[in-house]
Amino acid sequence: MEYLFTIWILVTLNFLLPRAMPGDPFLYMSADEGQEVARFSEEQRQYYLEYYGLDRPVAGQYLSYMSDLLRGNLGYSLYYNEPVSTIILRRLPWTTFLVIAAVLLSTVFGTILGSISAWYREKWPDKFLFFCLILLSEVPAFLLGLVLLFTFAAGLGLFPLSGAITHFANYSSWWERLFDILHHAFLPVMALTIARLGGMYLLSRNSMTTVLEKDYLRTAWAKGLPKKRIIFRHALRNAMLPIVTRVFLSLGSLVGGAILVENVFAYPGLGHLMREAVMVHDYPLVQGIFLVVTICVLLANFLADLVYKKLDPRISDYSGIHGG
Amino acid sequence: MTADQYLLEIKNLSITYHAVHPPVKAVDGVSLQLRKGESLGIIGESGCGKSTLALGIMGLIKQGIVEGEIIYKGQNLVGLPEKRLRNYRWKDMAMVFQNSLEVLNPVLSIGEQIGEPLRAHYNLSPMEIDQKVVKLLEMAGLEPEWRHYYPHQLSGGMRQRVLLAMALSCDPELLIVDEPTTSLDPASKNEVLQLLQKLQKKLGFAMILISHDLGAVKKLTSRVMTLYCGRVVESGITSEVLKNPMHCYTRGLLNSSPNFFRYKDLWGIGGEPPLGGSIEGCAFYPRCCQGEESCSQTRPPLRYVALERMVACHKGGIETFLRAEGIRKKYILKDREIEAVKGVSLEIKSGEVVALVGESGSGKSTLAHILAGVLPAGAGQVFFKNKKVEGRWATKMLGGMQIIFQDPFSATSHRMKVLEVVREPLDIIKWGSKEEREAEAIKALQKVQLPVSPEFLNRYCYALSGGQRQRLAIARALVTKPKLLIADEVTSMLDPSTQANLLRELKGLQNRHGFAMLYITHDLHLARKIADKVYVMYRGEIVEAGVSFEIFENPEHVYTKRLLREAFRDLV
Ligand SMILES: Nc1ncnc2c1ncn2[C@@H]1O[C@H](COP(=O)(O)OP(=O)(O)O)[C@@H](O)[C@H]1O
Ligand code: SF4
Ligand SMILES: [Mg+2]
Repeated sequence: MEYLFTIWILVTLNFLLPRAMPGDPFLYMSADEGQEVARFSEEQRQYYLEYYGLDRPVAGQYLSYMSDLLRGNLGYSLYYNEPVSTIILRRLPWTTFLVIAAVLLSTVFGTILGSISAWYREKWPDKFLFFCLILLSEVPAFLLGLVLLFTFAAGLGLFPLSGAITHFANYSSWWERLFDILHHAFLPVMALTIARLGGMYLLSRNSMTTVLEKDYLRTAWAKGLPKKRIIFRHALRNAMLPIVTRVFLSLGSLVGGAILVENVFAYPGLGHLMREAVMVHDYPLVQGIFLVVTICVLLANFLADLVYKKLDPRISDYSGIHGG
Repeated sequence: MTADQYLLEIKNLSITYHAVHPPVKAVDGVSLQLRKGESLGIIGESGCGKSTLALGIMGLIKQGIVEGEIIYKGQNLVGLPEKRLRNYRWKDMAMVFQNSLEVLNPVLSIGEQIGEPLRAHYNLSPMEIDQKVVKLLEMAGLEPEWRHYYPHQLSGGMRQRVLLAMALSCDPELLIVDEPTTSLDPASKNEVLQLLQKLQKKLGFAMILISHDLGAVKKLTSRVMTLYCGRVVESGITSEVLKNPMHCYTRGLLNSSPNFFRYKDLWGIGGEPPLGGSIEGCAFYPRCCQGEESCSQTRPPLRYVALERMVACHKGGIETFLRAEGIRKKYILKDREIEAVKGVSLEIKSGEVVALVGESGSGKSTLAHILAGVLPAGAGQVFFKNKKVEGRWATKMLGGMQIIFQDPFSATSHRMKVLEVVREPLDIIKWGSKEEREAEAIKALQKVQLPVSPEFLNRYCYALSGGQRQRLAIARALVTKPKLLIADEVTSMLDPSTQANLLRELKGLQNRHGFAMLYITHDLHLARKIADKVYVMYRGEIVEAGVSFEIFENPEHVYTKRLLREAFRDLV
């Protein structure tokens, strides 16, 4: 219920915002990058205005917008000359891939490093890790992306400069194709992962330190349990709770990071697409992207609630407040 | 008795938390022995190091240094690596931790937490473990269904049972139980104690019970140790120690324990335990009612003072201030003799409130006068601090004895002024200068909450109300800082409200300054409220004497029974 309401608000905002933006889509459409002569004649322009209902009163536009949405119709891209949903569906997997890979890697490594730090708190492994990761966490993702791009792709030539896949390549097997994809994705994923690593590390270091001092950990030691069980079943299991919350809550900002990084690496995901769409004032496309991204983030939050309830038995008893 | 006979022997154990500044020595040179199946109680205020001692035995001190020896079945556990310690944990010694929500893992089910030591220590299949968990829960008085629940879904009492079931999962030989009843309501408290008692009998484990609930200790243990500032100050047989504590601190604990005194008001021990650091002399010195300068110099060793009783005190424990032996007194009137006191013996220890009860005419006041040396005894002897009382020396000194008469200022002094009355005892012994004496007098007046305005100080005694005059008499007695105060029916002439106030104040003063008091009264209500010990006097003889809760609960002598019946008839 909550989620439906949130979605409605977002959808409405999504409708209003682009219309409040200055600029005429046809201007860009007709003079694409200053190269082509006007593609649309005045009649055509009139036709499209009518077709999109841009000449009708706002309330009417809103209603038809909503009913289209319900039918899964996100509109038609003026610039790409394709249905918005088709374009987005083509690009969405790439971004999803980037984001999920970065989330997984940064969470896993951040948690491991943070736990090591907490275990050796105030000893040299902790001090060393703390120093390195604090430094890293200060660098923004796109800057990191640029550095990686210049050194590893442009400089050393180890990785491709752009794209998600080699165009027109013939793969002899599926794993060759997979390797090509990973090869392309490596640097963007690295950029995103490293940028998030510091935050995850600090969080898990804190969380683990707190947990290690809890009475129930002393109980676990007293019971003479194996060290592995104490660390993983007793300590990590509890330390994960705030980490999981953070992972899901930070998905939004991660998508932001992904947009920048995609642009650095010319990676054909939603972020890249978004920039193009914004440049040419392609309302339906921008709206569509916004909508899909927000729904994804909401979906992730919804998922977070489910996972959290599974992880922390206390949650289902109190009314769903996220506790640290 | 050789060392091998002990299941657990602790030698000179010290535990210092060094992560805090200044470091806290939470356990300081503790030694103890425990045989198989035996139960030992450890009592003391919170913060005295009880939990630290328990965690130390379990080898769970993380941010501290452990020194000394913990010998379990002949093996010293101190300094043993974690790997070797693991073999002892839970199988040999288990612990019921101090109950809190955090002591159980919030995200694991009860069943898993009870069963996991079984998995860690024995080769059992999940099925067998589950069966054992069910058995353990039933043994602890919980439905087996609870194993699917999580800690936050349990009440405090149920959590305590879970902790117990968990501790018993591997059939330990030594069970350490830390505060099993704090934070429980009285009903669950009793249930948990009964359960512990039953299980110990059935399973035969040795037990160390840590508690500041003396009732629990009395019920469950055969020997007891009092801990103060991490040091053992008294140890002995539980029933003996609780009936007749020999260290001032143990007595203080008893006096502040509601379990023992159903009627008596509770009086906590004045002052606070010192914080951290090692104390040179006796740690209890700042709060001790009989401490002297010398106590703060060296540390009193734990020594035997009686059979099976050890006390750490330079004075061998609670001192006897007053001892009377075979006191007799005859009054010779014109035509006949009245034997007012017929061979009375009694003892008053430091810091103790002793009530002397009996109907009027039973000889109480005569006895009081003899004790104070105001009246010569016909036969028998009185000793104040082991020195024979002859004449009035004991009342004519600082830190001596003072008596407050039943009818103060009846004859002479009502023509004196307030300040003069209070100052007089100091004048008599020629203490200090006149200014100093007046300053002391004013202090004493403040103690009994009388005004100290010049107008009041210069008032004549006859111009005072009954209550004020009684307070004045107390101030006059207190001005010499007596160690023993004999108060003869000091409140009997007052109305009930003034009486109650004055009595509370007197007891408060006693508690704060730690003097001993012989409180003479025919009013059993009052005696029951404040007395530690009671002497019942009937026709010149002591017919019954003992610890006040025992006498008031189970009087033995017919006269005492009658007195009690009459006194408390209106209460039933
Ligand atoms: N982990 C710790 N670090 C530093 N000081 C501690 C720690 N645990 C307990 N203390 C201190 O040690 C003393 C004894 O505490 P504790 O053993 O818990 O007493 P009790 O169980 O008798 O209440 C107290 O002064 C307490 O503040
Ligand atoms: S009399 Fe002295 S040594 Fe004994 S308890 Fe009191 S202060 Fe400590
Ligand atoms: Mg404690």
